[in-house]
Amino acid sequence: MNIASAKNSAPGPGRTSHRRWPANAVRALPFCYAAIVIVLVWQIVVDITKPDPSILPPPIDVAWTFGHLAGDGELAVHAGYSVARVITAWLLSGIIAIPLGLLMGSSQHFERIVNPFVELLRPISPLAWIPMAILWFGIGESGKVFVVFIGTFFPILLSTVAGAKGVDPVLLHAGQVFGCTNRLTLFRRVVVPAALPSIVVGLRVAFGTGWAAIIAAELVAAHSGLGYLIANGMDILRADQVLVGMIAIGVLGFLFDTFFRYLQAHYGRTAR
Amino acid sequence: MNAPLTTGKPLCISGLTKTYETRTGESMEALGPISVDVAAGEFLVVVGPSGCGKSTLLQILAGFLKPTDGTVSVNGEIITGPSIDRSMIFQSYALFPWLSVLDNVRFGLRRKTIPREQQRSIALQYLRLVGLQDFADKNIDELSGGMKQRVAIARAFAVNPSILLMDEPFGALDALTRRFLQRELLRIWQEQQRTVVFITHSVNEAIFLADRILVMSSRPGRIRAEWRLNSPRPRDLNSDQHRRLEAEIFSLLDEEVTKTFSWAT
Ligand SMILES: Nc1ncnc2c1ncn2[C@@H]1O[C@H](COP(=O)(O)OP(=O)(O)OP(=O)(O)O)[C@@H](O)[C@H]1O
Ligand SMILES: [Mg+2]
Repeated sequence: MNIASAKNSAPGPGRTSHRRWPANAVRALPFCYAAIVIVLVWQIVVDITKPDPSILPPPIDVAWTFGHLAGDGELAVHAGYSVARVITAWLLSGIIAIPLGLLMGSSQHFERIVNPFVELLRPISPLAWIPMAILWFGIGESGKVFVVFIGTFFPILLSTVAGAKGVDPVLLHAGQVFGCTNRLTLFRRVVVPAALPSIVVGLRVAFGTGWAAIIAAELVAAHSGLGYLIANGMDILRADQVLVGMIAIGVLGFLFDTFFRYLQAHYGRTAR
Repeated sequence: MNAPLTTGKPLCISGLTKTYETRTGESMEALGPISVDVAAGEFLVVVGPSGCGKSTLLQILAGFLKPTDGTVSVNGEIITGPSIDRSMIFQSYALFPWLSVLDNVRFGLRRKTIPREQQRSIALQYLRLVGLQDFADKNIDELSGGMKQRVAIARAFAVNPSILLMDEPFGALDALTRRFLQRELLRIWQEQQRTVVFITHSVNEAIFLADRILVMSSRPGRIRAEWRLNSPRPRDLNSDQHRRLEAEIFSLLDEEVTKTFSWAT
């Protein structure tokens, strides 16, 4: 965008991202407020019930442990493992589910062949696959990637199918009139871009389910990752360590979702 | 078979009928038989009661629907499917929301073997024609309905079609915008000299725009009557001549609408 074209645009919110800082700070306020209330309530509960620290440590202890684990890099290593597994599996899912979903959505014939498999496999929770994943892959990386793959595959597939099927028929007609004479060009130039907002939603939802699945998989079978960190904390009766893991899971999940919402706002314009 | 006679005519519709198969397996005659020849550069307007098959006719002309019987030929060749040579303006605009205003106009130019720079300048030229050159980089959802339809007009003319098809293109717009766009369309059409087939519910719109008006009967739609208009444009709809014509067309349409309803009960 150049200066000349910017000058006659209405004086609304700035388009450039560096101008957005104050707005972002304002948007973060409700979350800061919620975090403060949670910590306060937590402190009050501890003050009133005086539980054993191995059951519920006070916030300050957990903050201390957090600082310790973050300081020596252990937290970052575990978080890194979890994030890397989710991203790997999620990308893999996207690479397979997006083309498959686009095909299913644009060919009734193909959908009729594939859909029964999808409908039969989809109700099996990714968590139910954990034992099979351990039997097949042991407790290495591939087993966990497999579980997250199952968890991320169906959300991406379903919203891609919905997106491709939901393309406004009048846009398909317009595409045909304006030069997309064969199905492939129509697919590439109309169906795919029209389905994109829906695909982005699927990717966002899938990242959330994947993030839940990886923690579960690491609880059962891992020597690394945030799921392992909290399972280990439970084994050695360190509730503070468990809580640090939980906080990291929450914060990272929130950050990823915020990032996707940003992507959605920019690339997910609804088709209409 | 009168195929040999059609050779060379810009648009020749002969013996066209359409019968829909309903979900219950019955067949429903929606259209025809219809035969019309349209001359090069002619502005043909079709009016008819709701449900008489106007949209069906246009869908067949566009190549989206196969006729049950009869043929449509353009410049002597029988059409088999959609073509960029028969461009279209849709009632719901049908702009691509993921593309900018300029890229929407450029969409139809990308298939042809036109260098990119030239595509851009052609698209800009047509945007200028509809007065939207300053909006080239805007998103579609930043435009009003009237502006969207102007972009659609630019897109339809930019591909240099021999025929333009329009199914109630201004039906979704307010009266004022509608009047404005009717004038705009006439101006562009006079400048570009294209053959137009225009469908409308509005008798006034038909009289304001047409070289020739076809009135269709109730379903299955046939051609009930036809008028040629020679009065100079821009036309004064309040002149005696046009008022008389309006009354005539309305009395015919009233008759047909009555048939529709007595037929249905
Ligand atoms: N896909 C279809 N299947 C079955 N019947 C259809 C189909 N499309 C249209 N019809 C029927 O064909 C007839 C003509 O429809 P069409 O849409 O062409 O009418 P129209 O003249 O454009 O009406 P309007 O002025 O209300 O737009 C109607 O009775 C309609 O119910
Ligand atoms: Mg119609």
